[in-house]
Amino acid sequence: MIRFGYVLRVVAAAAAAAGAVALVRGRGVPGEAQAAAVARAAMERLGYAPLGEPTATFEGDQELAWALERARPGPAGAQLARGEGGAVRWRLVFPGGGEAQVTVDGVVWSLRRPVPEAPGPDLFPSLATPRVEAAVAQAVLDPASWRLVRAQSWREGGHTWERAWFVGGSGPLPPGWRRELELEMAGSSVVSWKRFVHPLGTDLGVVTGRMAELRLLRRPALLGLAIVVIGVLIAGAEAVAYRESTALARGLVYGVVVAVAGSFAADTLAAAPVQGVVLAAVVALLPGWTDLPPTRLSFGPAAGVALAAATLAGGTIILGAGGWVPVTSPVPSDTGWERQLADAWLPALVEEPLLRGALPAFAAPLLGWWGAALLAAPIGALLHPEPSVPLLASIGLGVVLQLGLAVVARFAGVGGAVLARGTCEALVQRAAFPAGPGWNRIALLGVAVGTVLLLWPRRRA
Amino acid sequence: MAAPARVRTLPAAVAAIALAAAALWVPATPPEQPASQPPAAAAERAEDDLPSLGLPWGKVRGWERVNDGWTLTWQPAHGMWLVRAWVPDGPGEVLWRIEAASWLPGVRLSRRAASALAGRDDGVAQGREYLGRRDWLLTDARVLGALPAGGDLPANPRRGYPAAAALLAGLLLAGAAARHLVPGVPSRVWRQAVGWSALALVPLLPQLSALAQPAFQAGVRPWVGELAFGAAATLLLAALAFAAQRFPAVAGRPVAGWLAVGLAAGVVAGRLRPATWLLGVAGLPLRLPELAALAVLLGWLMGLAGDGLRELARPAGRARAAVLALLGVAAVAFAGPWLGVALAVVAAAAVERGSGTGMAVAGVWGWVFGSVWTLAEWEPALRDALVLLLFGVGTVAAIGLARRTTGISSPTA
Repeated sequence: MIRFGYVLRVVAAAAAAAGAVALVRGRGVPGEAQAAAVARAAMERLGYAPLGEPTATFEGDQELAWALERARPGPAGAQLARGEGGAVRWRLVFPGGGEAQVTVDGVVWSLRRPVPEAPGPDLFPSLATPRVEAAVAQAVLDPASWRLVRAQSWREGGHTWERAWFVGGSGPLPPGWRRELELEMAGSSVVSWKRFVHPLGTDLGVVTGRMAELRLLRRPALLGLAIVVIGVLIAGAEAVAYRESTALARGLVYGVVVAVAGSFAADTLAAAPVQGVVLAAVVALLPGWTDLPPTRLSFGPAAGVALAAATLAGGTIILGAGGWVPVTSPVPSDTGWERQLADAWLPALVEEPLLRGALPAFAAPLLGWWGAALLAAPIGALLHPEPSVPLLASIGLGVVLQLGLAVVARFAGVGGAVLARGTCEALVQRAAFPAGPGWNRIALLGVAVGTVLLLWPRRRA
Repeated sequence: MAAPARVRTLPAAVAAIALAAAALWVPATPPEQPASQPPAAAAERAEDDLPSLGLPWGKVRGWERVNDGWTLTWQPAHGMWLVRAWVPDGPGEVLWRIEAASWLPGVRLSRRAASALAGRDDGVAQGREYLGRRDWLLTDARVLGALPAGGDLPANPRRGYPAAAALLAGLLLAGAAARHLVPGVPSRVWRQAVGWSALALVPLLPQLSALAQPAFQAGVRPWVGELAFGAAATLLLAALAFAAQRFPAVAGRPVAGWLAVGLAAGVVAGRLRPATWLLGVAGLPLRLPELAALAVLLGWLMGLAGDGLRELARPAGRARAAVLALLGVAAVAFAGPWLGVALAVVAAAAVERGSGTGMAVAGVWGWVFGSVWTLAEWEPALRDALVLLLFGVGTVAAIGLARRTTGISSPTA
């Protein structure tokens, strides 16, 4: 006879898996293959056929993308960031020479081809300007919108070089924005161009101002974590003095995992060893904190899927209510499976034992477990918020996520909260990395672990 | 039990009177010059003396004592720029500086401000527009539109005392461990005193944010800076209140004579090496409760560090008194602006365990008064500092009278 509890676990596993697949489907940065084809075609139009398959690197301008979204809220702004705004793009380097930047939606943002052996006759000075003006049609789709503002020429390598600067008005960009283009010719051949966007100060200012404000607000949260770490030090001294039971081996392994993950994650290389030591101490002390709920790992990933869905829905609700939150995900400074894994799981590995383990263990005798959880929520919410209008919207969304994690920790313990947070972050951050099944698999790793844990038959007592 | 205490009280009272006399009559020559005006008066002077600079300054957000003057910060509610001015105490020139958010395009000073910056009074100026920059052409001068503008303001030399800070942190950790590992009867009075002091400071945090200059940045709205400061301060206060519960001071029977000595020694320390940051607190409207609450919290912390020092010095056995005396001499010689807290720690370690926190609070209380007395020369601050001292003296006297009338105090006091 199949027990009801096991049926419940199967249902939870199936729901979590289906939900997670729905959350990652269609997300991620597309256009890698298309970008290579577009770049190749653009170079062939200039008379150069690049050899081999290009190396593609994802790159972006975070503030520019969010400023465009702020100027045109909703999908229109996100589309501009991926297209004419040039904020999110692929860099393609061909092994036989030639390099291009192509936006995610297929606009050639910059291009540089090798200087041809026979670039055509040098332009006679009096005829150079109209030829250069005409050449802009090879770089943009709306040449009539572009105006030559400055040009220069010089002699180098046996050819006369021309460099021209064009201004394209705002075009499809929001009013007040400006497009610029720099184009170079050797002889009578176009060899390179690069486009620029100058945002309107107020649009950019809302984004950069909010980011600066959130950086400032992060300091008290870090102070809160530092206070917790001091408590861990004292608790460690007590544990040694009173010979309390500790999980030294488990703590050591956990600390090594945190240090390794930290060495792969963005901007934490210097802090990784310190984080490893602190977290090793926290995990080693966990058995002595008997006020904490026992760990039940299996339900953590399923809860993480629910939290990810709630987080993504929260952004949509804020946009629908007339506020603003970024649609484009934070652009990672580097892409790779290890970076995707580390960026998603490091916050879970570091913050959850501190906020859902150490802090409640210290504060529960005074405030009760839920009081301590409420204290941890604003600290966690201020650690990683994204800019929003109003500013408190994204902080509020973070508080909701933190309260959800507190609920998870109440019923599944610190370990369950770690799995839930890691799964949630992996699903939410999926959009920041390239599209493709390999990236999806990494984002679904937590769900897979959760499914195995849920379906694993338990021994009868 | 009461007789030995009375025997010790007499020399203690004599010492306290001698120290008070020293504080009164020995001419103190602190490294910092006293402030002849409060920050509010300095702000008024800056607003009167400086050109309008062509942009609204907003409210005065904060101040800091720098050299022989006040550095004041104004910021409008939108936070796009900051105006800072250094106002000397004497008749010197008021220096100013504008910092604008880096994303503001083409920011330009007003014509009058540009003329003032270039040292021209004729006011003849032509504007010039460039890509991302706006300049002023003056007679024989050009003011480039780039901000920040207005020149550099004087800054306090960085006097980092990392060794002292590390030593104090270590003593605090040792004190926390000592209170937990060598338990005693917890003092309900100190738990309540720390809790109420922390609670009293919470509604005063909007005022105290005036002392948090780094919280105000160009491009960051001032309410966000105040919120960041308030959140950090609330966390610290909550941690202190929690620490007072978790690592409570041990109940004891404080000797009024020794408390008087501690108070007087604190006053002398404040006269010799005053804490400049207390001058900023003295410039706040509700300075009296703020100074009192800070003295209690800081004193309790020094009591905690004193407990750590006492346990660390215990292996010295009979030489412990000599070790502590040497540490006291070293504090006077090397502690600099940390003198008050250093003496409070040593004093707390020198007395019996139950009196340590009281001794430290008395020392810090006197040090706070001595610092304000030495550095502030405006009447309201001096009056409030005197009230603070009288309150401390009254408390010590009440403790002494209570001992004489009851003979023995409650162990949970």
